[in-house]
Amino acid sequence: MNAPFGPVSSRSRSRFGGALGWLLVLTVVAPAWADGTKLRGKVDGFRNLLNPVWAEARDPKQHGYSFREPVATVRAEFRRLFPHAPKEICVAALAAGPQKAQPPVLVRVGGGRTTPVTLVVPPGTRLTFQNTDPFKHRLHGVGISTFPPADTARGATREWSVPAAGVFEVRDELAPSLRMWIVAEPNVAGIAYPSMKGDFALSVEQPGEYAIQAFFAGKKVGPALPVTVKDADLDLSRTPLKLADEKAAAAADKAEADKDKAAAVEGDAKAGAAK
Amino acid sequence: MVLSRFWYVLLGLLFGAALFLLYIASSMYNRAGLRARAEGLSADAQVVSWYLRDDARQRSAQLIPFALEADVGKQLQRSNESESKVPDDARGKLTAALTRVNTQIPKELGFDSVFAVDQHGRVVAYIGYAQASGMEDFELGGYPVVADALHGYVRDDTLVLDRMYRVVARPVEYDLASMPAGAIVGARVIDDRFARELSQRTGAAVGFYANGQRAAAGSPSEFPTASLDAIVGDLTDLEKDKDYHEKGRSSVREIGGMIAVQYTRLPGEAWQLGAGYAVARQPAAVSGPLGFFSHADDKDKKDGNLPLAVVAALVAAGLGILFSVLEHTRPLRVFQAEAAKFAAGTIEQLTPSRFRGLYRKIASDVNDGVDKQLAKGGGPRRGPADFKEVLGDIPDQPVMSAFSLPGDALESAASAPSGPASGQASSSGRSAPGRNLPSPPGRPRPPSPSGAGTPAAPPAQFEATMPEGGLPAWGSGAPDESEWPGVFEEFVATKKQCGESIDGFTYDKFVERLRKNRDTLVQRYGAKRVKFGVHVKDGKAALKANPIKD
Repeated sequence: MNAPFGPVSSRSRSRFGGALGWLLVLTVVAPAWADGTKLRGKVDGFRNLLNPVWAEARDPKQHGYSFREPVATVRAEFRRLFPHAPKEICVAALAAGPQKAQPPVLVRVGGGRTTPVTLVVPPGTRLTFQNTDPFKHRLHGVGISTFPPADTARGATREWSVPAAGVFEVRDELAPSLRMWIVAEPNVAGIAYPSMKGDFALSVEQPGEYAIQAFFAGKKVGPALPVTVKDADLDLSRTPLKLADEKAAAAADKAEADKDKAAAVEGDAKAGAAK
Repeated sequence: MVLSRFWYVLLGLLFGAALFLLYIASSMYNRAGLRARAEGLSADAQVVSWYLRDDARQRSAQLIPFALEADVGKQLQRSNESESKVPDDARGKLTAALTRVNTQIPKELGFDSVFAVDQHGRVVAYIGYAQASGMEDFELGGYPVVADALHGYVRDDTLVLDRMYRVVARPVEYDLASMPAGAIVGARVIDDRFARELSQRTGAAVGFYANGQRAAAGSPSEFPTASLDAIVGDLTDLEKDKDYHEKGRSSVREIGGMIAVQYTRLPGEAWQLGAGYAVARQPAAVSGPLGFFSHADDKDKKDGNLPLAVVAALVAAGLGILFSVLEHTRPLRVFQAEAAKFAAGTIEQLTPSRFRGLYRKIASDVNDGVDKQLAKGGGPRRGPADFKEVLGDIPDQPVMSAFSLPGDALESAASAPSGPASGQASSSGRSAPGRNLPSPPGRPRPPSPSGAGTPAAPPAQFEATMPEGGLPAWGSGAPDESEWPGVFEEFVATKKQCGESIDGFTYDKFVERLRKNRDTLVQRYGAKRVKFGVHVKDGKAALKANPIKD
């Protein structure tokens, strides 16, 4: 699976050409990174991860709903709020040394989140935020003086360059669920986003030693996979990137379920007292 | 005046007590109103909260037909299989399915917008959301409510997008062994129509706000909906409300004395965005005792027992007037009448026993004052005392009634009014010629009634008012009775001159009367003697007595 974003073409930056821009990203921009060696791989266990925004929203203390109930016919394993891998898990190939800045990257803002949610780029990379919603957004970087809150109207774009190495978080004052993490990693040589099944394919231009590392919510998840790239494409599917442990996730689920029960009991008690 | 004063004091006390009671009543009314209003607002807020939750639950149930529609699941599954692009035919078929099911939803539980979202979060089809027209990459997958639905939960949310929406979502299952094929999302715009429906069903006046502005409002007919606009100006300070910040529900706040409101955050993303709703009630406080009049409605006024109040007022006023008449007007009139009689000389003195209270004392004091003035010889005067005024008219008959003092009592003489003297000189020597006059015994008839060579006697007057110069200026100082024959003759002559009858008028009776009156005056005023003179008053002959002390 290729990255659903990439350097911004003039057409994709022009005027609300979301779909067209999306296609351009896939068909025009991706080949720029695809000129080198292709690395095909797989991430495993991403369903054991937990989307921090959704996990926070389900906490009754956040007052995110007046009722929230599981549908009995949906299996419990699917009720875990694991991330949408094609947008939220970024697989990066980290070289041994610093890499040059990438061309401008398009970030789509719509549907309560950004696409992608987690982005790994070298410092200095310019990002273009495009509003794909029929209403405005007010993005800002958390603690980033160069990214203050400002309105972005429907279809409009906003530019920002990653200033230095580190992790940057972008939020929207008008949409609390919208959170994006930008990991500025000097050694990143290429990135890719896995499919719903966990398959990914990324390209690196130069042969050499690389570490294949998954990022989620601004953090590294799972161990890195070291690879040596030569001229030929590599298939890493036999050694998938294990992002999270099933047992730990199950334990977390159980703890969460217990917390939900306690909250429900507390809620019933409050309701009784109110009556 | 006791009753009147007691009545005034009683009325004053009653008025003060009534005023005090009104202040207490207004304070109690305001306190009770404040408590009732706070309880009412809390109840309103709670009812609205329950309504919103119940409404969301009922509407989420209306999503089941969408989720069970075969085409919905099928087309969402088709969309999931294509990660790069939503198949066009899937959009069409899904839109048709949504429209078809939507027509079967009861109107009161229907949605303004319905969205079908695939596992990627993309909106494959929707109805009722024209804002997204032409946007093929329109998606909703990032919102927690949609993400929850995609992971098998049914729940509600309140989203603040271009407008404020109450949203419910549930999963759409296609293959029970797989993740849900997608989610079906129903949205209801929070607008004035929504607020009116809510208000009709809960009886609460409610206004929704978001982004510092009023989004919608609805209220019962008796409540002015426009007054809910006032919440906009209060939203700035709302964040300072500790309860609102921590618990999501503010304390009762009064805006400009117009309305009392209680704010509640809406559940969902709106909570974090500071959106919520305010329930409002009009304050029922009174500004003071008179505030009851402005706040009383027809029913209150009807229950006020106005006739009883009017009767009480009339009785109170009547009693006051009665006491005033009895204790003020009537005694004053009596005193006035008596004083008039006293002034006219009808009575010699005021009769204290006829008066009551202070008037009795006044009458007694007046009498005492008159007595003292008389004891001193009378008050200041500019002319001689009129004997007739002292002794009364002298009748034409020999009875000599003119010398009769009222009641023949000493007090009568003392209390006789001493009006201003006429100042007329005695009319000695004015006897008519040619008329036989009765002669006093033992004394030859004087050749002339005027007493030739005798200076005309000045009018008698009290010593106190005698002019400087004393007695020599007024009389001869000779023994009194020796003068009486002359006085008799002069008096008879004057009577004849005035055309009065002298039949039966004898000297003896004349002298007897003079003596009696002389003795009375001598005893009363301590005079050595009394000199009588004759003068004409009101066309009739009259005598004047002049008590002489030296």
